Amino acid sequence: MTQAVAQRRGSYIDRPSPSSLADVVELILDKGLVIDAYVRVSLVGIELLTIDARIVIASVDTYLRFAEATNRLDLYEHGGKDLGELTQSLTEGGSRGKTKGALDGAKDKVGELLHGSDDDSDDSDDDGEGGGSSSSSSSRRSRARQSSSRRRSRTEDDDG
Amino acid sequence: MSPVDSDVASTLACYVFGIVDADAELPRSATDAGELDGADFGSATRLVRNGRVAAVVAAPPADRPLGRAADLLAHDRVLATLAATTAVLPMRFGTVLPDEDAVVEELLAARHDELVQQLDRIRDRLQFTVKARYEEDAVLREIMATHPEITRLRERSAAGFDDQLRLGEAVVGALTQLREQEAPAIVSELGPHDGAVERAPGSPEELLNVALLIPATDVDRFVARVERLGEQHAGRIRIRLVGPSPAYDFVETD
Repeated sequence: MTQAVAQRRGSYIDRPSPSSLADVVELILDKGLVIDAYVRVSLVGIELLTIDARIVIASVDTYLRFAEATNRLDLYEHGGKDLGELTQSLTEGGSRGKTKGALDGAKDKVGELLHGSDDDSDDSDDDGEGGGSSSSSSSRRSRARQSSSRRRSRTEDDDG
Repeated sequence: MSPVDSDVASTLACYVFGIVDADAELPRSATDAGELDGADFGSATRLVRNGRVAAVVAAPPADRPLGRAADLLAHDRVLATLAATTAVLPMRFGTVLPDEDAVVEELLAARHDELVQQLDRIRDRLQFTVKARYEEDAVLREIMATHPEITRLRERSAAGFDDQLRLGEAVVGALTQLREQEAPAIVSELGPHDGAVERAPGSPEELLNVALLIPATDVDRFVARVERLGEQHAGRIRIRLVGPSPAYDFVETD
């Protein structure tokens, strides 16, 4: 019977044959008969994985992806802006909502990115003359820490 | 299977693929399937019978945990091979019981009547999963044409992170609205079925992800309907059809 409905070429639909790994994963995870608590415990990690995939819709990353897709479409339709216009609008963006000039606003933005909200991170590790590069890498590290701890707390929430 | 073989096998841990009728026969290919692609589910699949039901089992690998891609594919392949010829209730991936006695006591005997009922429900039926996604460019153009506020946001969005975020959120919101309007109509265009389970979308451009239980005698007509739907919406909605597969979404888990 499986053979009777095997893939047809040149059709209007995608009909994977055999099923891709992604299709199989989606098909079988979270599904099927369960023997009481026994399996639930052994598969906790896998269940979390599938829940994560559903959370992703309402995330900053998703919003940014669609903003970018929408902007790209706009550029395509109107022939695109040139580089000068783009940088101009970016610097204007940096100063928006502030009383300072455009360049100061942009400098603040860069400063925030490199040093975090304030300079206290520099005081905590004065083991050398690393200067800007070391503090920027430490703030990068702390951002990485933040995001991994955020992920951790999310899985804890799911667990409960 | 000789008496000696079955004595040894009965004391080994059992990976349980699924439940079939006690008088079902393992197709030759299902016996081989457990060993394909390095999945090495130990010895070939065999049946453990009790009353009117039987479990399809194999020895799990002794030296490593399950969970590789090949293991997932083997689990699906064994069940798919069975489903082509007999009613089968999939077990959840990763189900292992200590020995054949436990398979009988904890599963086949303990839940005998329920398993019989569940087998009857899916007998002579196959699962198909229909996934529909919007074609990104087409749907974004459409959304901009129908949502002036998004067009305004887009014009401002080069201004910074917050505006980008607002633009993205508005686009995702519009997609959600569109999906909620359109999905029910598409489900009904898929025609008659013996059960439907809709899954939450995994991304904003996903319009529909629905598992349908289709009578085996209706499969050709169903596939033709999906084809027509794909043709109708070509260029705007992309349709993916997965199946026939075992009735994963139509077993009761609790």
